[in-house]
Amino acid sequence: MRIYEHEAKQLLRQAGIPVPGSDLAATAAQAQETAQRLGGPVVLKPQTMIKARGKAGLIAFADTPQEAGQAAAGLLGREHAGEKIDTLLVEAKVGFDQELYLGITVDYTEGCPVFIASRDGGVEIESVAQEHPEQIIKRAISPGQGLTKEQAGEIADFLCPPQEVGVDRSDELRRIIAALYGVYAKFDCEMLEVNPLVLAGGSFLALDATAAIDEDALFRQADLVRPRGQSEAEFELEKDHRKRGWTFLRMEGDIGILSSGAGITMAILDLMRAGGGRPANFLDTAQMNRQGIYDAFHLFLDDPGIKTVLVNIFAGLNRCDDLALGIQDFMTEYRPSFPVVVRMVGNREDEGREILRQVGIEAIAGLEDSVTQVIKITEGLS
Amino acid sequence: MSIIAFKDTKVLVQGITGSAARHHTKNMLAYGTKIVAGVRPGAGGQEVEGVPVFDSVAEACQSRPIDASILFIPAAGVKAAALDAMENGIKLVVIVTEHVPLQDAMAIMEAKRRLGITIIGPNTPGMISPPEKTMLGFVPARYFRPGPVGLASRSGTLTYEFVSRLTAAGLGQSTCIGVGGDRIVGLRFREALRKFQDDPQTEAVVLVGEIGGTMEEEAAELVASGAVTKPVVTYVAGHTAPEGTKVGHAGAIVSGTRGTMKSKLAAFERAGIKVALEPAQVVELLKDALK
Repeated sequence: MRIYEHEAKQLLRQAGIPVPGSDLAATAAQAQETAQRLGGPVVLKPQTMIKARGKAGLIAFADTPQEAGQAAAGLLGREHAGEKIDTLLVEAKVGFDQELYLGITVDYTEGCPVFIASRDGGVEIESVAQEHPEQIIKRAISPGQGLTKEQAGEIADFLCPPQEVGVDRSDELRRIIAALYGVYAKFDCEMLEVNPLVLAGGSFLALDATAAIDEDALFRQADLVRPRGQSEAEFELEKDHRKRGWTFLRMEGDIGILSSGAGITMAILDLMRAGGGRPANFLDTAQMNRQGIYDAFHLFLDDPGIKTVLVNIFAGLNRCDDLALGIQDFMTEYRPSFPVVVRMVGNREDEGREILRQVGIEAIAGLEDSVTQVIKITEGLS
Repeated sequence: MSIIAFKDTKVLVQGITGSAARHHTKNMLAYGTKIVAGVRPGAGGQEVEGVPVFDSVAEACQSRPIDASILFIPAAGVKAAALDAMENGIKLVVIVTEHVPLQDAMAIMEAKRRLGITIIGPNTPGMISPPEKTMLGFVPARYFRPGPVGLASRSGTLTYEFVSRLTAAGLGQSTCIGVGGDRIVGLRFREALRKFQDDPQTEAVVLVGEIGGTMEEEAAELVASGAVTKPVVTYVAGHTAPEGTKVGHAGAIVSGTRGTMKSKLAAFERAGIKVALEPAQVVELLKDALK
């Protein structure tokens, strides 16, 4: 779960990492007031989930409070990549001598955090890695020990040798590097980046910050859970899905897929696309029962883009008859306009088939056959 | 033979008094797993399905030899429970729980490396060795038969799908392992492959992969190095999966271009590994490989 720049900067500030003076503005007047208070030129940055705001021309600069107000009026209310700009971070503009990059991410292969730092900040780290790998230092971190003093020292010395920047600045950089790892660990970050960290007038400042929080750790990061780039209704829906253990992703297509397990669901998507069908969604549910399958059907109920639904049941631990009853409950209650194709094998398969026949569904045993069938029916409808 | 768990493997169930744990304990015992103890703080002295319950892993380990532990523990408690098992000398730990926080998973993996432990999972239905009548987890045992095929899979549901097809085609299994669906897991494909290579009963291996991560590429590199001579057949789900949200730029630096379907298929091709593009081809390719 990504968080906004101003939230990430707040975490940095609390950890003692200097960031420029700033305030949030939701109106042009607020932006003007903040610029007035900060004194001097400002930067106006939309607080959105949009990546590469600079490239998209969404970051504005202003020399006077009046200009700040005008720039804010130009940005607020604009839509970009489906997201409306409703808040700006108005921040003192900082002149600097040097830009650095600091980032912490996870090496999933080794299963440990990695600190990455570069002498070339302010640009995309991927391109630095390709063109100037010698500008980058990487250190694997022990999750138990955390970033060691020695590692922080190595990284700081690589970025800014003490003989060049002086002992005080070098010490300050070490402290910032250690504090950044502290934020990463404390807030269950999956990724935390400061790009750039600048050296300005003798001290370091974090000019931009990006953070993503591990979704599986949100139960212990409750203060960070709030709607971002989505409506209150979407946010509540997402929370509800998380509580139910569903991963649901609506895509472009028209064939709804109700299946349990990420692997088999991906395999169904592959088979369907190979056969010329257009899957409407990815769904991974926790293990299904009568109530669960009935509940999951509601994902398709108010969606006019759904033409058909394919249900896949492999009842290894649960039972076909129980799940068939959930389908029957739904079909009887709602009489949905979309045809439902069911692939069903496993425990008490015959009993399950009999239940489905009562609502006019003839279950299919083969996975591939069920996909072919649902595509055929969908084509017949259009 | 099988790999990792055998008929004499003595198993502890952590969190044994929960309703799912009770149910799965019963199924594991019925299949033949030697469950010798359970743990639940505060429930010491009780019994579950005839298995004695202890207050702590330490007490269980003092009372009898234990080789392996399976955790039925909610995500928030997995780190403490897994560390507890490892620090008490248990050498095989199966973590079925899903949604374990990343930083907890990383702490578990560090301890695993330090103490030389095999971790299966997290986010797995576990493993089963049909010739040894031993199951640590909750796979639907009735689809499994003893035989020559070793299987390691990132997906539980695809494991059942494939194993039911293998069994229907007369191809039994030596050991089937759900390595776990999470981004950070303990036992990876390459270690599973090494073990299958060393197991005399295993004649061919099926790897069931998914898009993302680097496990498939690592396995391919191991095969290409010549360390695995038994035939390997793979299936990778997610040819048409919507691209996942790549988290930040730093992530790309660490994984590079690995993790994509293209990268996985290219790695398999270089290693001469047969790839089933559709589920039905897995059985055909295996039959060819075993001729």
